[in-house]
Amino acid sequence: MSTLEIKDLYVRVEEKEILKGVNLTINTNEIHAIMGPNGTGKSTLSAAIMGNPNFEVTQGEILLDGINVLELEVDERARLGLFLAMQYPSEIAGITNAEFMRAAMNAGREEDDKIGVMDFLKKLDSKMDLLNMDEAMAERYLNEGFSGGEKKRNEILQLLMLEPKFAILDEIDSGLDIDALKVVSKGVNAIRGENFGALIITHYQRLLNYITPDVVHVMMEGRVVMTGGPELAARLETEGYHGIAKDLGIEYKEEA
Amino acid sequence: MAKENIIAFSQAHAEPEWLQVRRQTAFDKISELKLPLIQRVKLDRWNFGNNDITESLDSSNVPDFTNLGENPKLIQVGTTTVFQQLSPDLANKGVIFTDFYSALEEIPEIVEQYFGTALPFDEDKLTAYHTAYFNSAAVLYVPDNVEVNVPVEGLFYQDSDEAVPFNKHVLIIVGKHAKLSYLERFESLGKDNVKNTANIAVEVIALEGAQVKFSAIDRLGSNLTTFISRRGRLNKNAQIDWNLGVMNEGNVVADFDSDLVGEGSHAELKAVAISSGKQIQGIDTRVTNYAPHSIGHILQHGVILEAGTLTFNGIGHIIRGAKGADAQQESRVLMLSDKARSDANPILLIDENDVTAGHAASIGQVDPEDMYYLMSRGLDQDTAERLVVRGFLGAVIGEIPVKAVRQEMIDVIESKLDKR
Repeated sequence: MSTLEIKDLYVRVEEKEILKGVNLTINTNEIHAIMGPNGTGKSTLSAAIMGNPNFEVTQGEILLDGINVLELEVDERARLGLFLAMQYPSEIAGITNAEFMRAAMNAGREEDDKIGVMDFLKKLDSKMDLLNMDEAMAERYLNEGFSGGEKKRNEILQLLMLEPKFAILDEIDSGLDIDALKVVSKGVNAIRGENFGALIITHYQRLLNYITPDVVHVMMEGRVVMTGGPELAARLETEGYHGIAKDLGIEYKEEA
Repeated sequence: MAKENIIAFSQAHAEPEWLQVRRQTAFDKISELKLPLIQRVKLDRWNFGNNDITESLDSSNVPDFTNLGENPKLIQVGTTTVFQQLSPDLANKGVIFTDFYSALEEIPEIVEQYFGTALPFDEDKLTAYHTAYFNSAAVLYVPDNVEVNVPVEGLFYQDSDEAVPFNKHVLIIVGKHAKLSYLERFESLGKDNVKNTANIAVEVIALEGAQVKFSAIDRLGSNLTTFISRRGRLNKNAQIDWNLGVMNEGNVVADFDSDLVGEGSHAELKAVAISSGKQIQGIDTRVTNYAPHSIGHILQHGVILEAGTLTFNGIGHIIRGAKGADAQQESRVLMLSDKARSDANPILLIDENDVTAGHAASIGQVDPEDMYYLMSRGLDQDTAERLVVRGFLGAVIGEIPVKAVRQEMIDVIESKLDKR
């Protein structure tokens, strides 16, 4: 079993404090959802875990099996088993999707341990099949000209190919129609198991109808303010964030 | 004295009268003509020749003759032709690919008719110099209606251990409705320890309806100062797709021009370049639409490492009367070092109203967001950067017709990245 611990995390972006003491522990074989209104720091949390250079951690720790990942570069974190499915993945012309994924899978592997072409293609075929992706997507340039839905699917494809210990899915449901949402959920459910843990960041309960979380956290004002089971998501769906804010004495104003 | 040497050279090779006259007239014009105008390149500080017309001795630097493949091929080292092959089938169809003096025996009228028509000898000081002093040449001729379905390779090696100037002329004539895929390589052999100059001219004459795919990789050595001009002349409905890899080690000014003189003619030019070390490369790409409904597109991508300099000029010129013409261009440079110097200079000259034209140019560094994304999948910084560079230059690499050469291009890029 692996554990990802976030302890008293404070993060700043351009001099503005966004995260103010986040505490969270995720084990493999668990799916956690983080919900919360806009601007409460959900995406900041994911960026800080992965090591986005635009985010400055001013206090706290992020430990993966006891190793402080804050001392590691982005690529080292990835090789240690962290994965972030991004909201806005980059488009890289001239590099095919397949070529990129193979390079990523081989990153950090010893020369005699590299994945062979046949094994790679076999795995790629089966995962693309699972996600109803057209074969041609493998030979297209990385995310270039992909629709929003194609990009999300491609992020999940990379997740399935790389098989990290922990994945953070940052609003993977945004902009997806119901069919695409089901496909993406199918992908995540396929990798669910004792060697995998996930942190799903979402605004809406809808995604959680397809990927049932073990734990639901509510984030407001840069902190986790409430933690519960799947029923917490259902409560949010009916009451909105108002009810919780009121219970906790947090000032909350819904966006117009 | 210089002129006497030229005359002696002509006579030693029993050059036809017209060529002897041409060389001498060109020689007389050198002093009165101006250097070509190449924006942002200070040409007057460059030396492209020392009034020398000599020939190679037997070279000890020979290219690798293994795995040459079956496709038509001509190999020259310095001024010497060392290998040629052409299938009997293509020879029977009248295809000629040989050295200059053999061509002057086999197709004298055709050589006389087309030599210097794409690139006139009196256009500027450098073309005049080239015409007076060129010391070796090759001719590729594809007769009307002949389709050559295998890539034709011209390999022109410069021996970097000899002082013979590398003044090469390549004349390519593609007949009416003929089809050609041609791969050209200029490359230095040897230890690169003799300072030398090159003035290279490549003419491509595409007759009515001809379809030409022209690919090239230039890998000339660090001690060679080069002016290279590739010039296409496109007649009615002819098309030339240029895919040019400018991967030299030394200082180079390259002039890539297409003259769209025939209605409906079409030039697509893609060029990629890498400058590294303290090297200066200036690439001046021009397409001129003389004829109605002609199309000229330019795409240039360059990468600069270390303290290299790279200049891209893109010139789209539409002449009055070329109704319905289209001129588009894009030049982009990626700088991988703070010491790199670059210019991307779009120039559109439009003298006709009923046309479409556009340009884009940028100079920048690798996008940190792109690096973050790639590294978030476990790729280290170096690998991620290489992927971005390879992708950035991929536009041309993918178009190279011979697989082994595509791989070579990738290897060249990798080795330049290794060296920094």
